[in-house]
Amino acid sequence: MKISHNWLKEYINISLKPATLAENLSKVGLEVGGYEDLAVKYEMFVVGEVLERAKHPNADRLSLCKVNVGSEVLDIVCGAPNVTAGQKVPIALVGATIPRNQHDPEGKSFALERAHIRGIQSNGMICSAYELGLGDDADGILVLKQSAKPGTPFSKFLGLSDVLYDMEVTANRGDWLSHIGVAREIQMITGKKASLPRARIKESATLAKKHAAIRILDKQKCRRYSSRVLKNVKLRPSPQWMQDRLQSVGLRPINNIVDVTNYVLMETGQPLHAFDYDTLAGHAIVVKCAEEGEKFTTLDGKERILRSDTLMICDGEKPVAIAGVMGGANTEISEGTTTVLIESANFDPSSVRRTSKYLGLSTDASQRFERGVDIEMTLYAANRAAELIQEFTGAEVLKGSIDIYPKKARPTFVSLRVKRTNKVLGTSLSKQEIISLLGRLELTPAAQTKETVKFRVPSFRYDIVEEIDLIEEVARAYGYDNIETKTRMTVDFSKPLRTNSLQDEIRNYMIGAGFNEVLTYSLQDRMKGHLMADKAVEVLNPVSAEASVLRTSLVPGALTVVQHNRSHGQRDLRLFEIGSVFGLRGEQPGSTLDAYVEEERLLVLLSGNVISAQYGSEHRATDLFDLKGEVQALLSKFCLDKYRFIYYDSASALIESALAVEINGTYAGFLGEVGKSIAQGFDIDGALFVCELRVADLQGGWTTEKKLIPLPRFPSVRRDLAFVVNTGMQHETVARAIREAGGTLLTNLVLFDLYAGDQIGAGNKSLAYSLEFQPLDRTLTDREIDAEVLRIVKHVEATCNAKLRAL
Amino acid sequence: MTEKINQVRVAFDIEVSKAVNVDELEQVRVKFLSRNGAIAQLFEDMKSVPVSEKPALGKLLNALKNDAQVAFDERKKTLSQSQEKPTSSIDLTLPGRPKPIGTKHPLTQTMDEIKKIFMTMGFSVATGPEIETDYYNFGALNFPPEHPARDMQDTFFIAKDVLLRTHTSPVQIRTMEQQKPPVREIMPGRVYRNEAVSARSLVSFHQIEGLCVDRGVTFSDLKGTLVAFAHQFYGKDVRFKFRPTFFPFTEPSADMYISCFLCKGKGCRMCKFVGWLEIMGSGMVHPHVLQNVGYDTEEYTGFAFGMGIERIACLRYGVDDLRLFYENDVRFLQQF
Repeated sequence: MKISHNWLKEYINISLKPATLAENLSKVGLEVGGYEDLAVKYEMFVVGEVLERAKHPNADRLSLCKVNVGSEVLDIVCGAPNVTAGQKVPIALVGATIPRNQHDPEGKSFALERAHIRGIQSNGMICSAYELGLGDDADGILVLKQSAKPGTPFSKFLGLSDVLYDMEVTANRGDWLSHIGVAREIQMITGKKASLPRARIKESATLAKKHAAIRILDKQKCRRYSSRVLKNVKLRPSPQWMQDRLQSVGLRPINNIVDVTNYVLMETGQPLHAFDYDTLAGHAIVVKCAEEGEKFTTLDGKERILRSDTLMICDGEKPVAIAGVMGGANTEISEGTTTVLIESANFDPSSVRRTSKYLGLSTDASQRFERGVDIEMTLYAANRAAELIQEFTGAEVLKGSIDIYPKKARPTFVSLRVKRTNKVLGTSLSKQEIISLLGRLELTPAAQTKETVKFRVPSFRYDIVEEIDLIEEVARAYGYDNIETKTRMTVDFSKPLRTNSLQDEIRNYMIGAGFNEVLTYSLQDRMKGHLMADKAVEVLNPVSAEASVLRTSLVPGALTVVQHNRSHGQRDLRLFEIGSVFGLRGEQPGSTLDAYVEEERLLVLLSGNVISAQYGSEHRATDLFDLKGEVQALLSKFCLDKYRFIYYDSASALIESALAVEINGTYAGFLGEVGKSIAQGFDIDGALFVCELRVADLQGGWTTEKKLIPLPRFPSVRRDLAFVVNTGMQHETVARAIREAGGTLLTNLVLFDLYAGDQIGAGNKSLAYSLEFQPLDRTLTDREIDAEVLRIVKHVEATCNAKLRAL
Repeated sequence: MTEKINQVRVAFDIEVSKAVNVDELEQVRVKFLSRNGAIAQLFEDMKSVPVSEKPALGKLLNALKNDAQVAFDERKKTLSQSQEKPTSSIDLTLPGRPKPIGTKHPLTQTMDEIKKIFMTMGFSVATGPEIETDYYNFGALNFPPEHPARDMQDTFFIAKDVLLRTHTSPVQIRTMEQQKPPVREIMPGRVYRNEAVSARSLVSFHQIEGLCVDRGVTFSDLKGTLVAFAHQFYGKDVRFKFRPTFFPFTEPSADMYISCFLCKGKGCRMCKFVGWLEIMGSGMVHPHVLQNVGYDTEEYTGFAFGMGIERIACLRYGVDDLRLFYENDVRFLQQF
């Protein structure tokens, strides 16, 4: 929202410099994003007088000018056809920033340097209206009036002396969307009084009431409707000063009637609308809701389809405006307009908001009504508009206003307790100090006891309804900077302090194991969203198709990361992610959270080579067992022996050779190789191994309490055994048989070699194990061990169709 | 003269330590300890010194000569020993066998650091769901229905009354519903806004929220706690300011700014030439919010604050495109 410094001065005496004012407004919460000082807008531009014009010796189309710029005479090369001696012209001095470059297709600004043009030095530039940003004429230089004095700063010549502030208005302060609203805030800062000028109207003898009838049928949505009728208006451009004001805050001047309504809007924050009285059927105004599906053409020429809750302004026959949003084309002010009815009404904020949202139509009026408008402003604004129109056109203002105000708003009173104020703010303000601070905001004490003050709230501060609102005002008026910064606070030990979460611990473990943590988008396209599950949660109003479905798994996101890295030459990847995935519990999305599943998962991914190519050790491609080993280590670290792998043939296109992971007997996730066809979908040609586990299950298995198992006091004994079995025999079966036979004495079993080849015959493989026996109560004798080993060999040979292989 | 002696001492020390073999060391000896060396020259200079100063200076110069000789001898011993060793069997310059280096994501690192600071202040960590109800995301946080305040955070909807949370503040409500004061929690998590994706905005990002409710918690404590955080996180010398703003769930509300840590407040590209950086929103928990979770608002007051992790990480690491965080280029990740 643009606010003009000069305009503000209509309502309050300001002696603060713009920079100080901006800082002080920001201090009270009216954030000034920036301000533009028009006096320095054309900083390096002056008025010049062309003393001589000669032809450029080396170019037909160029002229060589001697230009008096007040302090000196400059040689300037000019390409414009219309330059002649004796002209007063705008000169850009070397160092000036030319607002628009007419040789640039986008008209970008550029800095003017001293230049040699066809061998002649040019010490400045004579500008066109286009180059100055003052018009679209780029064909020749802008010729100024003869009375212009050489050397005059160009801003001064243009009469530019305003400062424009760019205000960022918070959602709760609709009253700041006007100059008087900002002036009132300055009143709080400086203590100088802010006020609107009195509206002085010369009324004719004819009663307005006799010429127009106004009825409000929907009193909920239209809380007040004030109006003035003016005859014999003459449609013209409004005076230059008003056009300048409107332009300075970004509004386009249209004609004196519309400009006045806009001016009063910017002045008071009260949206106004002017109807061509003669087009109002029956010279009547009826405020009521539209028929469902009714069509209506707004001022911008667009046809709108209305709903039954859209509040409309109608005449005796038809709708003429969408209340609080935009007027209709059918009653618009035009060339032939002679009589005008001014609407100054107050509409229900949520009704306007619904309508504006539904129509996708946001206007200066709707933006203000949505946030709320001072209900006591309607009459003043109507009068003020009538005054200005009368001043500009000599119109006849009919006697009296028509003011329909079904339920007059009662003044608001809010009580404030001094103790409470200090308790919230940490201050020690006295009652008197508080009254004086709030007084600057026109909050006046209506009654008080020793501890409590009841304040009367001015109607324009409709945002103040309860005590905490007043406490906030005290804090603003007192100044946030003046409230102590207390750096001592008690710490509470009544609850156990939570330290690192499992997620933190897993992250620490994974980075120790040499993995890079990734974070991927949780909103994905449909293909990725549905890759791992059929039932995905979809967003009703996605911003794009790429972000329309909530991820059902961390795998697709990880594949995207692999794709990106491989395409940038990074092939050996060790990645992990912890993040939430989502799903539907039933078939349909429901209106409670029970309908959705949201769970955190851990993803681990390996791809490329186990060890990058280097001397002295062979590099090889990652396989499933590298990942299995990583996952085993992780699970052993956090869940000790509470996990196991379940081997099943997944045979899905998605994950090939998959294993399921169980923790405490519950399915916790899987690990496996990403299917070739899926990988190819992400332009990945190498093998990829992923594991995805539910964090909740890891949490369930997380063992934080640990008890010492005494270290063995007797030596352990190792023996190696190799069995030849059929290729189809699984390691797990053999290992189980060894453990069964070994009993508690066998404490460690490691598969140290796997061999298939000529030596053992086709269709066979050799599994070589290292066994460790650990007695608890004695030292084992050789004979005891031999017996133990023999028992194991026999058992394995019997149950696994195995043959002991001589080592 | 004293200065001259000291200069020679310093120069000698540097050159001796720089010498990596016996040959180089010999050159140092010639330069300093030989008959025409720098130290001998100093003895020559002594002749022209006033008699009164001679005893003190002489002592200093003798000390230098002795020290230099000792240092030279020691260095010579070390260097000749190392040269005696056979170098043929092992090439020690061969590279070590590389191990993969794990890294936490920069956003995680930023969050961890913030968490750690608040945890030392007695805060613990709470989390909540990303799919939320209208009640937890808006209603309980004092967003009136159909209020422009809801425009501040454009929302992704899943179904009627179900949405993707637009901030971590719903966790405040869930936490307070589950426990009585005192409450002192920080709540990190992912949030969603319906905005066009660009270098400066994404449809989802991370926030960390804080909440402190107890007897006697004031706006003064809010300022103190957040300033203590800022001094820990951004450095002891940053200046700060609090400016009034509006959030439906806090009143009074304040935006916290710190002086730009890059330009020290002089103005630079990072702070858009204003010298200040807005780092978080905060305020006193609105009584309506406390009422909504059944707290006695006369007895308890509290403050809350929240900050965007991506923004902070951008500032800290000099990242100017948010999308880099989610591209997960390992050349990017391994820098942190």
